[in-house]
Amino acid sequence: MIAAFNVRDGRILARLIHLAHRFGCVYTRAEALQRDGSFRVRIHLDGPSEALARLRMQIDKLAREDKENNP
Amino acid sequence: MIAERAERAQRTGARVVLDAIWAEGVEVIFGYPGGAIMPLYDALFGHRLRHVLVRHEAAAVFAAGGYARASGKVGVCVATSGPGATNFVTGILDAMMDSIPLVAITGQVSTALMGTDGFQEADITAITHAITKRNLVVRNARELLPALRTAFRLARGPRPGPVLLDLPTDVLKTIVPEHSAPIRSLDSRTLPRASPAAVTATVELIRSARQPVAIIGGGVRAADASAVYRRFCERVRLPHTATINGLGAADPQDEHFLGMLGMHGWKAANLAVAQADLILAFGMRFDDRVTGPPNRFAPGAQIVHADIDSSEFGKIVRADVCLHGDLRETLRELVAALDGQRIPTFDDWCERVRALGGPLPRDRSQSGRLSATDAIGELFERLAPDAIVATDVGQHQMWAAQRARPAHPRNFLTSAGLGTMGFGLPAAIGAAFVPGGRPVVAIVGDGGFQMSLAELATIRRYDLPVKIVLIDNRNLGMVRQWQQLFYDARYSATNLSDNPEFCEIAHAYGIRAESVGVPEDLAGALKRLIAHPSAMLLHCACYPEENVWPIVPAGQAMHEMMEAER
Repeated sequence: MIAAFNVRDGRILARLIHLAHRFGCVYTRAEALQRDGSFRVRIHLDGPSEALARLRMQIDKLAREDKENNP
Repeated sequence: MIAERAERAQRTGARVVLDAIWAEGVEVIFGYPGGAIMPLYDALFGHRLRHVLVRHEAAAVFAAGGYARASGKVGVCVATSGPGATNFVTGILDAMMDSIPLVAITGQVSTALMGTDGFQEADITAITHAITKRNLVVRNARELLPALRTAFRLARGPRPGPVLLDLPTDVLKTIVPEHSAPIRSLDSRTLPRASPAAVTATVELIRSARQPVAIIGGGVRAADASAVYRRFCERVRLPHTATINGLGAADPQDEHFLGMLGMHGWKAANLAVAQADLILAFGMRFDDRVTGPPNRFAPGAQIVHADIDSSEFGKIVRADVCLHGDLRETLRELVAALDGQRIPTFDDWCERVRALGGPLPRDRSQSGRLSATDAIGELFERLAPDAIVATDVGQHQMWAAQRARPAHPRNFLTSAGLGTMGFGLPAAIGAAFVPGGRPVVAIVGDGGFQMSLAELATIRRYDLPVKIVLIDNRNLGMVRQWQQLFYDARYSATNLSDNPEFCEIAHAYGIRAESVGVPEDLAGALKRLIAHPSAMLLHCACYPEENVWPIVPAGQAMHEMMEAER
């Protein structure tokens, strides 16, 4: 699974890496490019499909909350 | 007016923080001072915001959590950098697990020292990143006000939780010019609403169900949806149950309310869920203590899951219909959609569910010794309906949750998700600062009480009329019970037979105390406890072998309960 999203708080990438580890997934590539005060995050994840689905929901939540809190 | 404006123009960062907290409707904060946070404590001197000095930072965060749980307001706690901040960690996670609105404020070494391993420096934002909704180091005094406002907004919701602000000492000392630019209102965000299609689908599932059961969780409390949930139950007369965090949301007098669900839930509740063909889950997250193995949870049921947090959908149990939205609004729409519809009465099903239950199972005769379940049961019979009860964690917590019939979801405070020993006494302290004068009772065990008993000094200092019911079975009882049942009675590190004289400890803090050790003395002791106008400890010396029944062994489905002989 490849997740790509924009966030203002770049620490979310670190949080995501920890979450992937906790859910029994691995990341094979992670990058965050800063531009105009926000980060374009792209992370390649691998793992059991159920865990990836849960991870996807957490990614969506983190990205959504970041957007709401950093308008 | 002119003087006030001049004062505002000369505010330090610390003063900005306190004024912002006050402006958020918070009247009391809980904390413990130290080096890096001293500018804030200096600004507190003479400020109208009330500060409660506890005796350990962990108590500050639990007290703030108790205040938030009992009031619905945001709880605020303050500690210094380093060890003060790290002592917050457990309480912050506790708030995260139970979705409690909390703003934790920590001092930090000055910005110039950050990253140098300065004295009492801890990277608390890194430490708490996984257990807060958000955290932030505020490096510029001009950012304080927006950061505070964002923190409060985030803590409140949509799903409440903890936010941590780390404030370097130099930022707190900085003079902050009065804000000329208006801060954009952050409270106008609209909450998500369940889709009409999902509401319609839910109505159809209710209409076609034969054996529906509703389960409510802490989300009902968080959404202030108790009243509309009760209306829903008047409209759809179905059996319903609650997770431990959902206790109080349902009408305790409702004949169809089955009591608590889960590992130590009421038999009828667990069996009804196992046999249901429709589960309506409102504001609950399918904790493993409630579901058992997810693939064996309500195997014949379709599941409707209503929650404000879409990441909960399908996390543990798959849902057939997801109602993503503010729970109060969702329930209102559901009630409105049911209006004029023909809804089955489910009378036969309710009757069968009632027959599944019966009284809570008990241990065999205790041979004249005091039983913890008798003590807790009789306490609840004597308490005023509006009393706030805070529990610690362990056997007494489950006995209390089984027997409590709180009339309001903010009347029963317990560390549910994290199960934090040492929570109960400081949480009761926090609840005692909620206006309204409701009686506050802490039910604690001998293990957890000893993790928090320094807070007797806080109770004494503020003359809080907190009643403490100490269930002393001279054991870490829940662990002992599991060792008895599942570890071949190998009692490793659970014996507390060398407990101190608890009444003498209370007396040393200036708190009245009484001990009861035989059943015939219980009623009188409880009567005196409740009637006493100030704080009092009732030490219940209970027999140690009493277990919590029923119990669902780990890995078993919820209907596979172990019961004691009646």
